[in-house]
Parts: sequence; C-alpha cells; structure tokens
Amino acid sequence: MTFNSLQAFQEIWDALSDEEFQEALRKASHISQVRVEELLAERRELVEVCREAVEAKRRSVDTLRDLIDVAYRSLESVKAKPYYAESAEEARKIIGGIVGSGKLVVMAKSMAAAEIELRGYLESLGNEVWETDLGELLVQLEGSRPMHTITPAVHMTRFKALKLISEKLGVKLRGDSIEEAVGAVREFLRGKIVKADVGISGANALAADTGAIVLVENESNIRLVTSTPPIHIALVPVDKIVPTLLDAVKVSIVQAAYAGLYPPTYINIIAGPSSTADIERVRVYGAQGPRELHVVLIDNGRMKALKNPLLREHLRCIRCGRCQYECPVWVHTANKWGGPAYGGPMGLVWTAITVDPIEAGKLSYLCLGCGRCDASCPMEIPLSTIIRHLKSLASRGSLE
Amino acid sequence: MRRYGFPFPIPRDAVYSWAKPLKLPERGPVMLYTGALYQLTPYIASVVEQLSAIEGSRVSSLALKLSGILSSLGVSRLIVRPKGDMASLVEKILRSIVALLEGAGVKVAYPYEDDMYSGVILYDLGLDDIFKEQAVKVYKTLKSRGAEYIVTVDPHTTHIMRSVYPKYVDGYDLKVESYLEILAERGVEFKGGPREGGVVIHDPCLYARFENVVEQPRRLLSAAGFEVLEPRRSRRMTYCCGGPIEGLTPRMAKTIAKTRLEELRERSKTVVTLCPICYTNLKAVAGGEVEVVDIALLLAGVKP
Repeated sequence: MTFNSLQAFQEIWDALSDEEFQEALRKASHISQVRVEELLAERRELVEVCREAVEAKRRSVDTLRDLIDVAYRSLESVKAKPYYAESAEEARKIIGGIVGSGKLVVMAKSMAAAEIELRGYLESLGNEVWETDLGELLVQLEGSRPMHTITPAVHMTRFKALKLISEKLGVKLRGDSIEEAVGAVREFLRGKIVKADVGISGANALAADTGAIVLVENESNIRLVTSTPPIHIALVPVDKIVPTLLDAVKVSIVQAAYAGLYPPTYINIIAGPSSTADIERVRVYGAQGPRELHVVLIDNGRMKALKNPLLREHLRCIRCGRCQYECPVWVHTANKWGGPAYGGPMGLVWTAITVDPIEAGKLSYLCLGCGRCDASCPMEIPLSTIIRHLKSLASRGSLE
Repeated sequence: MRRYGFPFPIPRDAVYSWAKPLKLPERGPVMLYTGALYQLTPYIASVVEQLSAIEGSRVSSLALKLSGILSSLGVSRLIVRPKGDMASLVEKILRSIVALLEGAGVKVAYPYEDDMYSGVILYDLGLDDIFKEQAVKVYKTLKSRGAEYIVTVDPHTTHIMRSVYPKYVDGYDLKVESYLEILAERGVEFKGGPREGGVVIHDPCLYARFENVVEQPRRLLSAAGFEVLEPRRSRRMTYCCGGPIEGLTPRMAKTIAKTRLEELRERSKTVVTLCPICYTNLKAVAGGEVEVVDIALLLAGVKP
C-alpha cells in the first residue's frame, strides 16, 4: 500500500475547518467518554475480566508462532479451511480466488478488510459488494473510509447520513427520522444478504484450541452475513489469535465494554461450517448456515513487529477504539490522522506495523505525548512511548 | 540547538537574570534547577505567533517544518524576541517559588549560568542522540556544582530529570522532586493574601499521568485557603492544553486549548496552571473573561 503522510496532513487541515465534521466528532467523543467511564464504575467485574484478557493477550503474543500452528490444526479439525497470507496483497489474492467474479458479496464490518483494501479489490474483479454494518455502509456510500474503529460513520450528522441513504440507495425517505432510514436500509440489505454468494467478516478473536472465531456486535448483521450465504470468509489478523475459547470470549467482551457497548447484543461463536448428521449420522456440511468456512490468517507485518520490543506490545491491541475517543488530537481529526486504515494513537502504531514506520513516524509528530491513550487502553499498551519511538524513527530517517 | 543549547537563540542571561537579586549560593547539594522552561515561554510565545502567521498557507508550511524541524529545529532561524509582559511574569513566578521553598525551610542553591535547558523538546521529537548529549552535559554540570538533590519547577523538567535521564545517563544518581511535592510534604506557611474563592485546577499531563503529582497541588491550594474545583476531566484523566504541538501547528494546538478552556471555565473563572506551557496555551485562548494563574503566584499571594 502506498501512503503519503503529507497528503494526510492536507486532509487533516481541511477537516479542522469542516464544522459539521467537528461537531459530529465533539458529540460522539463526549458521549463515548462518559459512557465508558460510567460503565466501568458501575460494573467492576469488567475491570476484572479486562485484567484476565490482558494476561491472555500477553500469553498470546509470547507464544504467537506456536499458536498459529495450533490454530491452523484446530481450524482444519472443525472443517474450516485455513490460509496464511504474509502480505495484504497475498490476502487479497487468496480471497479473490475464493470469491471469483460476478458474485454478490456481503461484508460485515472488518478493519482487517479496510487494512487490505478488500472491497475495492473485489469490485475490481467484477463482484457486487455491500457493507452491511450501517456505519460502514454509510462510509461505502460516501466513498470515504471508516473514521473510527467501532463507529465508522462517527463524522456524519443525521442530515448527511439520511441524504446518502436516500440518494445512493434510491430509497424515498419522508422525513428526517433516523428510524425510518434504518428501516429502509434493513429492507435494502436483507434483499442483498439473502441472495449473496459470499459473506465476509472479520473476527474479534480466534481461539487456537478450538478453531472458534468470536465476533461481537449489536446490529445482527454479522449473524446474517456469517450464516446466510453458502460461503463465509473470515479475515483474522494473526494478533487476534488467543490460546483458548474462554480467552477469546473475554477479549471480545472487553472490546465491547471499552467501546461503551455492554452488554453487547450478540456474541457469535463460529467453529466451522454449519452441518447436520441427523440422517443416519452422516455428517453433511451446509445445513442452514454456510457449507464452507474459509479463514484467512493475515500477517502483513505483524510477525516482523513481534521482533521489535515496543511494536510487539501493540499486538495486544483489540481495536476497541477507546484511545481514539480519548485522544485530544483524534477528536478533531478522526481517522484522517493515523494512516490509511487505522487512526489515532493505536492507528499510528498499526500503520507502522502494516504499512510503513517512517510515514507513521511523520504523522506521529501531531501526537501531544499527553498519555491519555496510555491511561485509556484496556490492554495496557504504552502507546505514547511507542509513538515517541516512531517519531524517533522518522527523525533518524530524515537526518540520514 | 547544538550551538545554542536552546531550541532557538535567546540571550544567555535571560535564563538566570531573575535570580540575580536573590544572590543564591551557586553550589550545594540541594539545587534548584529550572531547566529554563519557564524562561523560554516568552520566547516560545513569540515564535508561535510567527508560526501562526505562516501556517495560514496550510500544509505547505507544515511540510517545510516537518523537513526543517527535524534536521535543525528550523525555528532557530526565526527572529525571536520575548513577549515583555510575560518575561516579567516569569521572574515573579520563579522568585515566588524560591520564597515558598524558604518559607518551608528549604534553602536552595542555584547554578545561574549553568541552569541549562534539559532538552525536553529533543526528547519529545525523538531526537535521541542529541538529547543524550544534552542530558549527559546537564548531569555533569549539575554534579560539578555539588548537586545531589534537584528541585524542579515544572512538570516537563521534573519528568525528564526523574524518569527519562536515568535511561540515558550512565550512573545517574540525582534525586529529583518538584517544588510542589516538597512544599506539600513539609508544609508551608502562607504569607500575603487574601486568598479565597473557588479556583479550577488544570492538571498538567506529565504531573498527573507520569509523575503522580496529583494531590499535592490540591492540598497546597486548600491549605492556602482556596476552594479547589475539578473540571470534568481531571487528575489521571486530565486533558492536554495542546501545548506540545504548538511549535508544529499552532492552529491545532489552539483548537485543543479552546476545548480545554471551555471545560475549565464551566467550573470557575479562575484557572490554576502548574506548567508554563499550559499557562501560555490556555492564556492565549482565555480572552478577558477567564483568569489563568500560575499556582506559585496563588500560593505565594503575589499578584500576577
């Protein structure tokens, strides 16, 4: 992926003058900050689960090489088909090979898909592709990219969102009711999901011991996308692999809670394609759910990061996006600051890992070093220290 | 930076002229070390004004700065004159700190022309090699004046001297405490006045999140007779003033400062700062309605 930090700075500058953008972010970040703060004060058990999740992630990172092998075998044992993609390009090729062309593809929100620029690639192969998460769909309709990890359309006001829905989906909305718009999108997307050939999702975690994928959500679009089409492809960056299914559930709960969504409406556990053995105990795959489950493990710089004592710490990141909502800079830039896919404090580091550390380092100069991200991160990632290290890389790069 | 020892050229005695009339001992185990951050702020303010003017052309100036700032800390080519009113304010603040320490029974030495810049900005920009040179130089100089125990006056220098230098300087053995920690621990008799009414406290990031200086300023303000009010985001979750990026993008820094000031003024029209960078940034967006005051002046009962 080519990425130019100067172009990003230009976008950031423009965003500072965009009052609608600023207002939407101001509201969203305030709501999120207060919500998470209250949630953690109310439900002390979450703090305990979080502590256990951090330990699980530490163990995962320490044993990642082995875990990948274990996960590979577990996936095969539940009749899922595992793949290993070293780069974004390789991941796209693998997925392109499974999907083919002329297909209808529905996607559940996945930052991994954004990271490998999957949607555009599948479209370029001649497929019709739809995002099914409402925020992600809005971003697709706008022709932009996710502005927050969990809430991709955080930068849009109601006016903007409704306009996109009515203009781009060709649905008639009578008033400015959000309910009506959500209903219209529901009808539109159901039409696509029912007919879709392939459903693509990400994963909150993959349990190495069982090959089970855990996905957390509120909209139920993940349920539909992962269970309705005959083929399900799950994108799993290797840092999402944890030792056990219990670890995977804990990580997912923490991700939801620190995004302010607790209890999450749905937690999906998917271990292999759907099957039945109800007739003569003969197992047949493809009962009501998919008959094929392809799991694409994505490296894309992560195994290299494992060797760097600081970047390695970031492999614990569960993409809850709390550091984004808490960052004084991010709340004025959203994901326009951080890199091509991920934004804010955690985004800078993911950009360093998956794209280019020097470009990430240049963007890092906007970091205040204030440490709110450190204090917010449920995974205890020393974000401001890592970001200062990125600045140091960029400084050295520019001095050479 | 290598040439001047400062991020931009300033007259050498601008750092220690405040202490000339005090005739403090120039050697000793307990040494006040300002790291020149307070003294630099009048100059920083002037630089930022000039940067703001060129920032109008958006990304082009930023691109220049990104390439310039890294190779030579390019701001050194700007014309730097201190903002006069701020320079005298800084003198008052630093003298108040010495008076407060004396009131708590702490007599400090002061290294005068050896009160060097600690290299905070080099560290923040990740210029580790030059930073290390500076750190070693500062350490050796302070040691040569007999220092064992360093008294700091701002959060950046406190953090750098206490938590960062040990990682860069072999055999580092200076004990470092902020004057606020010392005052809170020893207790202080408050002179002057009157002190009353509510003040809202703005925790600097480094004190609150990195150096655990949180309760000390509150205790001191309360003991001095003020009612300490808390903004929504305070203590460990305090919110940055925007200052650290003012040299790169005054516009973004101001936007952040405004966000913070709005939150502070909801609680009180008097905002207490504990850091010269916070002071400058919040002051720049405060207008006439909100008063931003350094904690040292409040505690010492000195009018700004």
